[in-house]
Amino acid sequence: MAEDHQIIAKNFPVKPKLKPTSTKSTSAESKYWKSFKPQPIQTLIASITSLSFSPAPPHDFAAAHSATVTIFSSQTLEPKSTISSFADTATSASFRSDGRLLAAGSHSGIVQVFDVKSRTPLRHLRRHSRPVHLVRYPRIDKLHLFSGGDDAVVRFWDVASETQILEFTGHKDYVRSGDCSPASDDLFVTGSYDHTIRLWDVRVSSGGSMMEVNHGKPVEDVIFLPSGGLIATAGGDSVKIWDVIGGGKLLYSMESHNKTVTALCVGKIGKESGDEAQQNRILSVSLDGYMKVLDYAKFKITHSMRFPSPLLSVGFSPDCLTRIIGTSNGKIYAGKRKTKENVGAEVGNIAGLGPINEPPKRALRPSYFRYFHRGQNEKASEGDYLVMRPKKVKLAEHDKLLKKFRHKEALVSALRGKNPENVVAVMEELVARKKLLRCVSNLETEELGLLLGFLQRYATMPRYAGLLMKLAKKVVEMRAEDVRSDDVLKGHIRNLKRSVEEEIRIQQSLQEIQGIISPLLRIAGRR
Amino acid sequence: MISGGRSLVSSLPAFSNDAKKLLICHGNTVSIFSTSTGLQITELEGHKALVTSVIVVPASTPASKILCYCWTASLDGTIRYWDFSVPELMKMIDIQLPIFSMVIPSLFSQSMERDEKTPDLFAYVSIGANKQDKQPNTSRGQIRKCNLTKSCLAGGVTLAETQEPEFITICPFGKYFGIRDKRKLRIWHVPEKDSERIEIKKMRLHHTKTLTILAFHPTKRIVAAGDVTGRILVWRGFGNRAFSLSNRLKNGRLMTYEDERPGVRGDDDADSCTTWHWHSSEVKLLLFSSDGAYLYSGGKEGVLVIWQLDTGKKKFLPRIGSPLLFFINSPDPSLSSISCADNQIHLMKMPSMEILKSIAGIKLPCSVPEICKNSFSGFVFDCAAGLVAVCAENYCIQFYSLFDDREISQVQICERNHQPGDELTVIVTLVALSLDGCVMSTVETRLPEEGIGGLVSLKFWMCGSQIKDFSLSTIIYEPHRESGVSAIAFHPTRRMSVSTSYGGDFKIWVGNQDIQQKDKMLQKTRWTCHAVGSYKKKPMTAAAFSADGSVLAVAAETVITLWDPEMNVLVAVIGDSLEPIGSLSFVGKSEYIVSTSRGSNPQVSVWSMSKLSITWSYKLHAEAVTCTQDGSSFAVLARLPESSEAAEAKETMLQSKDGAILLFKVGDPVPVATWFVKKSWGGGLAFLHMNPAAMEEMISDENPASLLAYVNSDHEYILFDPYGAQACERGVGRRHSLGGFQETGQFGYSSIYVELPEFDLKKNQTLPITFTPSERPWETIFSGPSHTLPPLTKLCSSFLESLLEKRTAAVE
Repeated sequence: MAEDHQIIAKNFPVKPKLKPTSTKSTSAESKYWKSFKPQPIQTLIASITSLSFSPAPPHDFAAAHSATVTIFSSQTLEPKSTISSFADTATSASFRSDGRLLAAGSHSGIVQVFDVKSRTPLRHLRRHSRPVHLVRYPRIDKLHLFSGGDDAVVRFWDVASETQILEFTGHKDYVRSGDCSPASDDLFVTGSYDHTIRLWDVRVSSGGSMMEVNHGKPVEDVIFLPSGGLIATAGGDSVKIWDVIGGGKLLYSMESHNKTVTALCVGKIGKESGDEAQQNRILSVSLDGYMKVLDYAKFKITHSMRFPSPLLSVGFSPDCLTRIIGTSNGKIYAGKRKTKENVGAEVGNIAGLGPINEPPKRALRPSYFRYFHRGQNEKASEGDYLVMRPKKVKLAEHDKLLKKFRHKEALVSALRGKNPENVVAVMEELVARKKLLRCVSNLETEELGLLLGFLQRYATMPRYAGLLMKLAKKVVEMRAEDVRSDDVLKGHIRNLKRSVEEEIRIQQSLQEIQGIISPLLRIAGRR
Repeated sequence: MISGGRSLVSSLPAFSNDAKKLLICHGNTVSIFSTSTGLQITELEGHKALVTSVIVVPASTPASKILCYCWTASLDGTIRYWDFSVPELMKMIDIQLPIFSMVIPSLFSQSMERDEKTPDLFAYVSIGANKQDKQPNTSRGQIRKCNLTKSCLAGGVTLAETQEPEFITICPFGKYFGIRDKRKLRIWHVPEKDSERIEIKKMRLHHTKTLTILAFHPTKRIVAAGDVTGRILVWRGFGNRAFSLSNRLKNGRLMTYEDERPGVRGDDDADSCTTWHWHSSEVKLLLFSSDGAYLYSGGKEGVLVIWQLDTGKKKFLPRIGSPLLFFINSPDPSLSSISCADNQIHLMKMPSMEILKSIAGIKLPCSVPEICKNSFSGFVFDCAAGLVAVCAENYCIQFYSLFDDREISQVQICERNHQPGDELTVIVTLVALSLDGCVMSTVETRLPEEGIGGLVSLKFWMCGSQIKDFSLSTIIYEPHRESGVSAIAFHPTRRMSVSTSYGGDFKIWVGNQDIQQKDKMLQKTRWTCHAVGSYKKKPMTAAAFSADGSVLAVAAETVITLWDPEMNVLVAVIGDSLEPIGSLSFVGKSEYIVSTSRGSNPQVSVWSMSKLSITWSYKLHAEAVTCTQDGSSFAVLARLPESSEAAEAKETMLQSKDGAILLFKVGDPVPVATWFVKKSWGGGLAFLHMNPAAMEEMISDENPASLLAYVNSDHEYILFDPYGAQACERGVGRRHSLGGFQETGQFGYSSIYVELPEFDLKKNQTLPITFTPSERPWETIFSGPSHTLPPLTKLCSSFLESLLEKRTAAVE
């Protein structure tokens, strides 16, 4: 019955044309990744070859660049300290599991272990004959570390005694990357420029690799995924995911980067619920300036972000608050996510100060002013039956005037309203009523100035140009005499002329570009 | 065979005596609708031509309100008497002349005095001339008297002759009836005792403009009339001279006050005449309220105006949305009905003028300006559900069930206010439905004003559920730059469609579903352009997908181009026709395409895809082509050639039939069957494929369910089995969705105030007070209010009795 009633009462206000919705889906996930707001950070001198977070809170991070390793605070993103006792370019800084020691390699072939606080080199591990590009502490083990270098040998060290326990030979080219397994401290993988990734076990002293997979391109980075059963490798422009438990089976190959993928790390969606595989993502950065987020449960890229320079390294803090990306020109793009927990805590503090003693409610008497307002702001409670008043349709001024068929006033009121969409919508409605040109001819001089000002501003906007260009032409034709007799209108016309000329220039340059591009497209289409 | 889609508003409806039913002349039948549910209850079938009037026999006593008798008159020359509660035909009178209007005055007045012997019942009928004596100069309409009791026309009594058969208006108490005749009203006074050859007094009232309608006041001698300019004239005290029973002396005295009759023209017999003017065009509707205090009027503007009769003050009921035709009061003062020209009848709650229910018939075709006339005929079929989607004038698309003959839903295509009588500047030029009926796409065109501001927009609509509630999914402004869209076709299985334009390109649109996961599951389909194609910059005029969707055929003016819709690759080009191709369709799963073209060399051609050549063709002006989905036959609705000699010879045989439906097998140019139809210009044709489950109860035989639906230019339709027997009789009955239950509604007094409680007189008597015998009665015997205590004489004895010691031991 209500519906039938509407047929009669229906009254549509004029509506502007809809805007196109962006084809990019702003899913919850990409919103999450965008929430890492980039903050300015001091530019370093040389390219940042490695970035690593301390496993212990407050999760400082170390960046290796030229012959120094700089430790930044992840709270303020300011450099805290600089270690510069390297003879040559520093590489691959790695924190121990408690975050108190830091190991780093260098191009001189020496692996050094530093105390993070005092910055003094505690141990020197000299055995590599060529530059060391890989130094890693195991996840829990505090006593050992392993390293790999351009001599194609992977070494396992006892740090305290500065002695090499094991030497793994098998790679035939530079060893540039590696990671130890989160499941066991005895297992680690290394990737090399001989296109292979090898899995080693320190319990097997024979020196041979447990497993070997071929990436097909020089391996730039390799990481274990948090379950310990999968590894992700980066080499060339592809990222591949391998099943370690399943004997090195290739699960997926992501090939959406355009240039060499330089680094990988595991990122986490800060969701409490959901199992591990749903939360973890692989972040990959590449020389093409893109950072991509791969959901390896669904094998789908969920987010992608562009940076203005080639990217070399990436890190993601264990508390999911900081994401850092290092570039080849020494810039670090550090993004910090705002947390709401702090705010919540503050509120809790205020509430926790003690019970706020409410003033005792006074009984309302007719002598109080509030007596006469009692109950007026009462809200309906849960179970109440609400008798709804029919919603009043609010009409804009121009809609009311259109309803009364006062077309010129409607147009003028929309023009005064400063919203170009509404003006164009009213104009379109007038076209549908075949009244637009009559309105234009009826406009007073001042109102005509308003219209000309509007046309000058918006006639060249692509969204409105189709209607407004033709209208502008018609207005100038129709009201030429009025324009000639008024100086203000002459000024408007001059402005209009200028904006039209500018538009013509733009169009010409666009046509030039089109002329350049179209043969290219034609050729590309033929292939 | 199912037919339907006929007009509900061809003539005046009537309420039953208890106002719970509304009798509507509905083509050859009278349909009875429940006023509480708005659904059809039953119908009276029997007339063989359009029913023109229905008169419910009024109830003389409250007890007889349940009686349901009515008289109907039809163009087939019969008057019938029905009991419409059963429904049953009780009597039939054949007068052999088409009846355009009928009134029975004695029904209203007869009830007053009841004789033992009921006099003969007379009806006054407006009849058209017989077709045999068709002479151009003589008048074609006559007002005749008809004796219903003896079932014959009263011999020799012709009250009036008019050029066209006129509608007779009767006064509510049955004393006068009248017609409008050009610029005058002719009013007759019905004699108290009507008999066959009694003289009927008559009079005339004159006006300077052509009158359109008249209405009588229910109690006083007041008649109102509307004219073509929108003026309403109200004559008060008409017929004092002509109809007065007293002698001529009195009349003579009245004549002396002639100069005191304001507004009365010349020698007309009325006391005064007032003119009201609000309507800008002709008055179509005029009626006094049942108490005579108000006058309702309406016209082309779609606004019901309520005039206070004494003061001439106006109230309005605006925005009804279409021109008004009829307005009737019901016996229940709080209910009335208004008939609109868009084939809709609204039931209104009276003092507040709210619309309670709407009874909607199929929308009538809307007039489209010549500029944007294309091959689209204004409606499309949803073959799977047996629906037709009709474009209405108020930017709605109505979904109308062909099987149920009723409206399913309406979709507002374009959010604009429609005023009846406005010039159409925004037009829905194209509608297409996907094969499963859950995607609709529409094209609307806003005509430019002197070259400014034209806009074509393509819209995709998605259907939520079975009830055809479409919601807007995507709007594309100017899909083909500034050129118009000529055709839209949907992929049979996938979410894909193609739109072709006169500007020389076609676009393939794909619906991508993206499910957004926020607080709730939000499923949206977004239609995006998948590919653009063109062929030698020729205007693309038609498109069709093959049955499996692997081939897209697009007509580029005179040639047919075949494309791979996925890869957007031109596969083949077929032949040349003489004129631009207007429509294309694949014949089922076979390799043939049927194309039609209009113009000076109309053609229906069948092309073979395997040979890439024409197979056969006819020179036929085809209005519509439809193909069976799986079979290999197709049907063509063709216009018959106008001036060919053969047709002229056949003219007598075909009468007014101007079209033919031809059913072809695809390989064979000889039609399998032919039917001749009327009003085929702008008609449509479709094979309906029904799901077997829905048809199970209706079909007795086993052959696959496939009905051919034909809709003519007036949106009347017929469904029949093209392969069935010639008689088209088939076990397909109309699915009667009867609004079976009727509310036992209250009306009149009880609807305003609630039902009075029934006073049970017996209860009012005071109950005899019961005495409770207790151990110590003297304690209770005087307790209680004094007015309930029994009289002292009674109390005293019982008190004394209680003092006496009861001897419990029985004396033996």
